[in-house]
Amino acid sequence: MKPILLQAHERSLTKILYNKDGDLLFTASKHNLPNVWWSINGERLGTYNGHNGAIWDMAVSSDSTQLLTASADQSCIIWDSETGKILHQMAAKSPVRSCGFSLTNNILCFTTDKAMNQPCFIKFYDLRDKEQVATNSPFRDIQIEDSKVNRMIWGTVEDYVITGHENGQICQYDWKTGERLRVDHSHDALIKDLQLSKDRTMLITASKDTTAKLFDAKTFQFLKSYKTDRPVNSAAVSPIKHHILLGGGQEAMEVTTSHTKSGKFEARFFHLIFEEEIGRVKGHFGPINTLAFHPNGKQYSSGAEDGYVRIHDFDQSYYDFEYDF
Amino acid sequence: MTIDQQWGDMMDETEFGYPPQQEIIEGDIKKIISYEDRDEKVVKVTRFYKLTKLKVPKPIADRKKWRKFGDCASDGPGINPANSMVGDAVFLTLATKKDQQEKKEDDVAEKMAKLKASGQGMVVCRICKGPHWTKQCPYKDTLGVALDVQQEEANAVKPPVRAPGAYVPPSIRKGEPQDSQTRQRDENPTIRVSNLAEETSEKDLQDLFKPFGPVSRIYLAKDKNTGISKGFAYITYNRRESAETALQTLHRYRYGHLILQVEWAKPSGS
Repeated sequence: MKPILLQAHERSLTKILYNKDGDLLFTASKHNLPNVWWSINGERLGTYNGHNGAIWDMAVSSDSTQLLTASADQSCIIWDSETGKILHQMAAKSPVRSCGFSLTNNILCFTTDKAMNQPCFIKFYDLRDKEQVATNSPFRDIQIEDSKVNRMIWGTVEDYVITGHENGQICQYDWKTGERLRVDHSHDALIKDLQLSKDRTMLITASKDTTAKLFDAKTFQFLKSYKTDRPVNSAAVSPIKHHILLGGGQEAMEVTTSHTKSGKFEARFFHLIFEEEIGRVKGHFGPINTLAFHPNGKQYSSGAEDGYVRIHDFDQSYYDFEYDF
Repeated sequence: MTIDQQWGDMMDETEFGYPPQQEIIEGDIKKIISYEDRDEKVVKVTRFYKLTKLKVPKPIADRKKWRKFGDCASDGPGINPANSMVGDAVFLTLATKKDQQEKKEDDVAEKMAKLKASGQGMVVCRICKGPHWTKQCPYKDTLGVALDVQQEEANAVKPPVRAPGAYVPPSIRKGEPQDSQTRQRDENPTIRVSNLAEETSEKDLQDLFKPFGPVSRIYLAKDKNTGISKGFAYITYNRRESAETALQTLHRYRYGHLILQVEWAKPSGS
């Protein structure tokens, strides 16, 4: 594989994301400019200029017309993804950590940090009611008393959101009632990433406790666990193969104390069912912070602490491999 | 005024007048020739891009018409080489634990064989260089060198004791792989197959070479621009025996309309 290197971010990557059709690749870093690229050749299409702080999370509407960004400048912006213009900016009282559009693009959700004497909130806006985003008045605020939310994604169906917390728990919240539906304590350290499989039935978690775990997204039934020897920063499920892709590595602060060859910065492939490592891809010279599969499963991208995004198109040998058991 | 210009000055002036960027389209290959400053030298850079046409769903085709915006509004159509570049090839070899274990055992056996061949690490008498302990040497007394031997034993290499905080070279730091990984790769049994038909694919090679044992890597040389096979390939096996049998069986084997040539690959770099 010859990867395409995307070099535009001056600081470490925080989130990369394909749109639903897979033709666009959105990247965000601790620098204040989210970028969008053509995934097929790595050509940069545009930048979204307007934030004043690190971008922690992004989401794109299913029709790819709107981009949502969560930033440490205490705001969440809805962008016109075609022109890079700001449609709405919603201010919060503490940094915005995570954000997302619901499946129908009707409901918008973002979570804020427990910081600056503010508790952690999950906020919901109904986009059909133009007033709500215009006047910054969410129709529901859920205050999180215990551990802060680090990642939030929408669930299998429109009913609820899944949150990953600082203490390792994962929860489901119903936005209609504000109730906590389910909670799971399988992880015992910070949840770094949550992703759903393509059919939205399985949830993969990536945690600082060096494991990634697979759950049923609806019932939180524990399915599989993928163990590594380092914190896992991101995990993704292949849309076409029984493969799990994990990215991680040492903490950024420990990087200078180890040799580049000691192999802590590789993306690792695991078999989904047998929980066994089946391959590695080298390339980054910092820990991988975020990973995503192309929706067609023929490409994956990784963004790392080193500020690079690498787009990999799989070789024929990837498709030929059959797990021998 | 006609003052003789120094040729050095003239060189400086040309800095402002690099030939303009050229774009040549030959069939499906776009060639961009530009001139750049690198390390205070003017360098001619030629970049090749392959133009392809794809059929995509309508929404994607519509988005393809989007104009560049934000910080890349001033970029022309096509890739900006400052932001997107092609990296060095990386390899993803999918293998199960079973394959890997097999390989490890094989490595150990191989290393032992090598040691035996080189004689190092095995028992060598310091008096007569025979394969036994020095003390059991039949010539111990006759040669009269035994005295030195005992002294030598006392001086035997002890790891140097380092003061705490002293510099430790990376090569002997704890937890550092001592280049063994890179060396292993070179030592893996690799065979070179040539005289392949142009239309042979990696899949065909896999079908052809897999039966002899687990293959860890197949590299089929292809033309950079056209993607057509150059007619040779390298196959790396996990085990030496598999490579040997493959070599013996497939050398001068008729594959398609051609006779294959199989030989050991020469180590890269030599």
